[in-house]
Amino acid sequence: MGARILEMADAFEANEVFGRSGWTDGLPIVPPTPALVTAALDAALLAPDQVVGVEPVRGLAITAEKVAVNAVMAGCRPADLAVVAAAVEAMCHPAYLLHGSAASTGGSAPLVVVNGPIRTELGLNATDNALGGGGANVVIGRALRLVLINLLGCVPGVLDHSTLGHPGKISFCVAEDEEGSPWIPLAKERGVPDGVSAVTVLACAPPRQVMNEWTTVPEEICETFAAEIRANMCGYSIWPGNYVLVVPRQLRDLLTAAGWAKADVRRYVWERARVSRGDWEAWGKGALVERGDPAQEFRALESPEDLLVVAAGGSAGGFAAVVPPWLGNRARAVTAGIGVCLACGPEEER
Amino acid sequence: MTIKVLDPTAEGPAALALPAPALPTLHGARLGLLDNGKIRVDRFCDFVEEILRAEHGVAEVVRRRKRNASAPAPDDVLADLLACDGLISAVGD
Repeated sequence: MGARILEMADAFEANEVFGRSGWTDGLPIVPPTPALVTAALDAALLAPDQVVGVEPVRGLAITAEKVAVNAVMAGCRPADLAVVAAAVEAMCHPAYLLHGSAASTGGSAPLVVVNGPIRTELGLNATDNALGGGGANVVIGRALRLVLINLLGCVPGVLDHSTLGHPGKISFCVAEDEEGSPWIPLAKERGVPDGVSAVTVLACAPPRQVMNEWTTVPEEICETFAAEIRANMCGYSIWPGNYVLVVPRQLRDLLTAAGWAKADVRRYVWERARVSRGDWEAWGKGALVERGDPAQEFRALESPEDLLVVAAGGSAGGFAAVVPPWLGNRARAVTAGIGVCLACGPEEER
Repeated sequence: MTIKVLDPTAEGPAALALPAPALPTLHGARLGLLDNGKIRVDRFCDFVEEILRAEHGVAEVVRRRKRNASAPAPDDVLADLLACDGLISAVGD
């Protein structure tokens, strides 16, 4: 263990000291004792000084031990650390744009989508209340927030200049309901082999919930998704990028009964999620209309593959969610294997 | 009976980015001025440059612009700015 050891009277004093020192997100923490941190590192097969990721802008190396300390504080069980570490690794990929997303007035949160067998091993929630907590989802998402605060200085008003932020910044982790869906899981679509667990992480704006329980026609269901994206393009940001679409069981059943796979959803939404410069007029942004041709068209998705479709949610209800990217294509979704290195190979193949 | 807990924060010199020492004078200096690329920051920088030249005797101002406010300046821009005596890099928002 290389981390500095602090002595506290008890767990209550640890909470008071950690809170007063600005080392928490405002919620109580589990005191990160050496025994708990060691148990987490052992479970994840990580050495304490192993570098999980390097924040690319400031070159800050994030060690497994420090990630484990923050994961324990968040309430993670030892087995949860592997997911947290994979998410940190993904967030340190330059494409994620960690520094910018953590500092921006736009106020993004890392959305973590978990795929693979680890979902059931850890009891992650992918069904009822999929975006609202349950299972270990909450503590895994929270661990990332504590890592940002304590290891990268993403303290509100210091580095984090989010004007509003959003509730996902407290925790934003969803598992895909692979058992309840005939669709190809997100990680597999992104090249992760069968049987390997993975996280896909994206800097996101808050989720926008939609509802359509008034049709069984796949085009109409997907039109609701596209319309919400169009609203986001006018009200929030025009930049094309990775949008996440969370589709619940009821709508999935209707789509699959009509023979629609994820690729069909993506193709429809890609085609329909576009606005014209002139559309800004109705959103109080007439000043933008004057800056170009009102007929100029903008797409939310440069290609159908930019839409990340995730099967999750309870069995009843036609409620889906569009989760927009924080800054379009400038911050991309990144997928990382859990407990494995997807980009690694034998020495001669590297 | 006490408990031992581990420090959750980054430790060590890598966590610190220290500001460079202040220039002894701006008179005759060559200063870099980095526009973060947001709307109208160029106009704001015009005023800053005017004040630097007229009121502080700055000899030369090297203006560069980032294309993405949320990402670091590219290497060629940084190379130009590193050749200056000092740099003003501020958030225009």
